[in-house]
Amino acid sequence: MKLWAYILRRILILIPTLIGLTLMVFVIIHLQGNNLLLAQYLNPRLTGPAKQQQLEALTERFHLNDPVYIQYFYWLQQIITGDWGYTNTPIYSGSVTTAISLFLPNTIIIAVFASIIIWLLSIPLGVSSAVNRDSIRDHLIRVSSFTLYAMPIYLIAIALIILLGVYFHVLPFSGPVNPLLVSNLDWYKNGISYPTHILLIDALIHGNLTVAWDAFLHVIMPSVTLALGIMAGIIRILRASMLEVLEQDYIRLARAKGVPEKIVINLHARRNALLPVATSFGYTVAGLLGGAVVIETVFNYPGIGYWTTQALLVNDVGGIMSSTLLFGLILVFTTLILDILYALIDPRIRY
Amino acid sequence: MEKRMEAKEIEGLRLSLVIFFSNKTAVVGLMIFMAYVIDALLMQFAPSMLGVNNPNALAFDYSNTIPQPPSPEHILGTTYFGVDLLQAIMQAIRIDLGYSGLIVISGALIGALFGIISAYAGGWFDEILMRITDIFFGIPYLVLALGVGFALGRTIESMIIALIIVWWPLYERYTRSLTLSIKEQTFIEAAKASGVSDLKIMIKHIFPNTLPPVLVQISLDLGVVMAIFATLTFIGFLPTGNLPELGYLTSLGLNYIQIAPWATIFPGLAITIFALAVNLMGDGLRDVIDPRRRSS
Amino acid sequence: MSEGPVIKIDDLHVYFFTRRGIYQALRGVNLTLNKGEVLGLAGESGSGKSTLGLAIMGLLPRNAIIPKGSIILGNGTDLVEKIRGKAPFKKDKLNLRKNELLIRNLNKHLQKIRGKRISMVFQEPMTALNPVLQIGYQIAETVLYHDAERLIRRALAREKVTREDLRNMIKILKNEGERGIYEYALKAGLNGIEEQIFAIWNREDIHEAKKEKMIIDLAKDKLGLFERIGLKLARKGMLKIPLISRLARRALIKEGYRVAKELLSSLGIPQVDSVVKMYPHELSGGMRQRVVIAIALANNPDVVILDEPTSALDVTIQAQILELIRNLRKKTNAAFLFISHDLSVLAEVSDRIAIMYAGKVMEVGRVEQIFEEPLHPYTKMLLDVIPTMEKDTLKPAKGTIPDARYPPPGCPFAPRCPFAKEDCLKFDREIAVTKDHIVSCILYENKK
Ligand SMILES: Nc1ncnc2c1ncn2[C@@H]1O[C@H](COP(=O)(O)OP(=O)(O)OP(=O)(O)O)[C@@H](O)[C@H]1O
Ligand SMILES: [Mg+2]
Repeated sequence: MKLWAYILRRILILIPTLIGLTLMVFVIIHLQGNNLLLAQYLNPRLTGPAKQQQLEALTERFHLNDPVYIQYFYWLQQIITGDWGYTNTPIYSGSVTTAISLFLPNTIIIAVFASIIIWLLSIPLGVSSAVNRDSIRDHLIRVSSFTLYAMPIYLIAIALIILLGVYFHVLPFSGPVNPLLVSNLDWYKNGISYPTHILLIDALIHGNLTVAWDAFLHVIMPSVTLALGIMAGIIRILRASMLEVLEQDYIRLARAKGVPEKIVINLHARRNALLPVATSFGYTVAGLLGGAVVIETVFNYPGIGYWTTQALLVNDVGGIMSSTLLFGLILVFTTLILDILYALIDPRIRY
Repeated sequence: MEKRMEAKEIEGLRLSLVIFFSNKTAVVGLMIFMAYVIDALLMQFAPSMLGVNNPNALAFDYSNTIPQPPSPEHILGTTYFGVDLLQAIMQAIRIDLGYSGLIVISGALIGALFGIISAYAGGWFDEILMRITDIFFGIPYLVLALGVGFALGRTIESMIIALIIVWWPLYERYTRSLTLSIKEQTFIEAAKASGVSDLKIMIKHIFPNTLPPVLVQISLDLGVVMAIFATLTFIGFLPTGNLPELGYLTSLGLNYIQIAPWATIFPGLAITIFALAVNLMGDGLRDVIDPRRRSS
Repeated sequence: MSEGPVIKIDDLHVYFFTRRGIYQALRGVNLTLNKGEVLGLAGESGSGKSTLGLAIMGLLPRNAIIPKGSIILGNGTDLVEKIRGKAPFKKDKLNLRKNELLIRNLNKHLQKIRGKRISMVFQEPMTALNPVLQIGYQIAETVLYHDAERLIRRALAREKVTREDLRNMIKILKNEGERGIYEYALKAGLNGIEEQIFAIWNREDIHEAKKEKMIIDLAKDKLGLFERIGLKLARKGMLKIPLISRLARRALIKEGYRVAKELLSSLGIPQVDSVVKMYPHELSGGMRQRVVIAIALANNPDVVILDEPTSALDVTIQAQILELIRNLRKKTNAAFLFISHDLSVLAEVSDRIAIMYAGKVMEVGRVEQIFEEPLHPYTKMLLDVIPTMEKDTLKPAKGTIPDARYPPPGCPFAPRCPFAKEDCLKFDREIAVTKDHIVSCILYENKK
């Protein structure tokens, strides 16, 4: 009951946040008057009078002759109805919403794999580092998480490429798949696979295990990089909070009750130690999304981030502005989900 | 009275130094940090001492553009366009450190200004600032910097402005929470009661008290901001040029990663070591201002 | 009352190693706790009272060592054998990491004893309970990890019992008292039902007719399908197998919640059905302390250590908890070690009182002896400080307790003692002035 009330309230708070977010993007777009907006919505293939016509239509549509604060609402209307303008980059040119539908799945697959790795590794590592404080294992975990934490994520990527790709030759590190394998497939065109746009899944759908396996190999490096970058922070926080929790009175009571040490650690202490990790998760996700931009670029992996940097290189307004907004939206909604999960583990929040 | 205050301050300083220098890793961090600072200062004021003519441009050598491995002439080897890596990295440290410092300190000043006023004044001003900063936290900072920087034009100036815009809200929040706790302390009440003006309280009492933790935060953030700065240039935010900058240097080497890994490794190490050093140093400084540590 | 010791502490030393020096928290404590008694332990802050309690529990931090001494349980087990004199030193420095492993090893050995034969209640109820686990769970697991058999027994007995059985047992309860129930339950193969009946029968908040109805309703309280499967698995000893053990554990915990409810209502907590599903933050300090006491009592331990259980509570709640502890004395056959710096509190609940100072016991005696004929100058000073009807102004004790790192030689109280003489610096012995009144003071050396 209480939990539902909390969730409802949390969703209501979303509205001002969304207004703020869109307002911010709107302001960015208007930093140079109307130029960026027009560049984003003008169909780049048009020329001459047709272009002039579209310009007039746009002025009409966005009410560009009205005061700026009114323009915001017309712009918002376009965004809500799904008209995000055009993008024109080497890897895709056409409407922004289509671009997103093509590239976002790849980002999601990397994020999902990274999350799985993070989930499987960071909690046991952080906990065992704290529980075996000052042991050799603890020192190793601390030094490596500290180093990874300090490194910019693209350097983690490069370090992995040099180690696993160049030196040991065990993993591919460029693109989503070996191009030779997909050259004559009818469900793979121009670097985009159909129907889900996630190569790994599409290959499975079409029963092509060779491609699926190769696609899987190509996902590993980007996901591991992302996971390492984020895990470093989580392990650090988890270790510190675990050490603090282990000193708490309720842990002493659990031991005084004769609860086996394994349960003391894995239930009594761990659940509490995860709370600060969960609160810092919003920040982590922000890092994860920012990291995706860089990682996809380093690995030439065609996700939203790759599209963004491609847009940057050719000064494509639509790509940059839409991805700013899109990343903001993703962050806002993941924070929402995380907050709800947080309320599930900490009963004190639900008030 | 004055004398006693002084003695107390000296004692406090001595304690701070003892705590800091008892942490060996923090001292190592400090030493590395100082090495970077010295390099940057020499580059700024006496580049010729380091054999550099123009610290603002990479010295291309078109006679042999392919990266060469480390050798007696080129201790760290060369990278694309025949650039000597050691020299390039030493040039780049000035740029990266200088601009990161500029970004963090400006961000901290703007943030502290708004944070202190916001917490001290409270009310609607505080509420509005909270909402504004909330929005900034709603977009991943790298993406936000990219968006703002792009809108301002792809130049190094707009990149710096964009990063300051991204960074100040962090300090706004931080000084705000610091101010809130300082505000509760009795000496503020006393100053208020004896009729000291609000402005004077903020400048003379609150600001100096927020300073130590903010300085620690600045030292920790230097590494983060340098990383973001380098990341932006790495992904090609600045149109191609010859700016000696660590992220750009890394990207120069990237195409040769199979045959010349050193061309990416060394610039990368230069950033990683710096980030590690300021983190270690910051951890040591944090111990210094931690009251729990001070009392023990 | 005194039917032999349940705990005998001999020459116990506990030191803490810190960067600032070695704190000698206990420096040769001798103390005996007898079956069924309440032993009060008094002394100023820093005298080592909590350390003594924690040492008995084996709940020592990683920087603690026990250079010598013993803590012997009634059955002859020495609780500190595993770490006594085994502290790992590198030159003069304690190797914290290795010491932690040593203590962890001790913990493993004591796990079966803690919460089962000895349990402890801490001072601060606000932080003693785990904020993310339900109250019922925190009590239930105490039983689960020590006596899963009991939970199985209870559930199966309820499964088997008929209304007829229960009616008979109520009749027996009225005519013969509790003893008859045990026999009946044994004969009918209903072991485990009796404690459930008593829990209802001994409640003070409801009248007899209601109790009878509740007892008879026990027969209606049958298990669900999953619990039945779970219990079967548990009975076959499948608690160690993953996944399957989950089902078994869930069934046992569910039964544990019933135990929790019975315990809580016996401690005067209303609406236990909802309380067991609450989280600690939903309860007041006094309530939480009752929950902690319930945890301590869950397995009918031989010894309960209460470390200032009322100090953090406000006065009215404090009185309630003291009343509760006095009642428990009558109901259970546990021995209590009641730690408090407040002699007036101890006067209300204790049979005997021990006075600690700077890591040593200065005087032990029955309550009357301590209050009416105190021997040690320190005891007299403590008594002087208690506010009474006549002199309600609080008079602070003169002087301070010595630094635990540099304890003075001989009698530690000598520096503060009005009767101190030169020989005090060499004096270190306990003198039995009468059989049960022991004092450690040079003044009584020849008055035996
Ligand atoms: N973990 C520890 N590390 C170092 N010293 C400790 C530790 N625990 C206790 N001590 C020291 O041991 C001595 C006895 O402490 P203890 O807590 O047993 O006293 P106490 O009689 O319970 O006092 P109080 O009435 O304040 O609870 C004190 O000098 C204390 O500083
Ligand atoms: Mg104590």
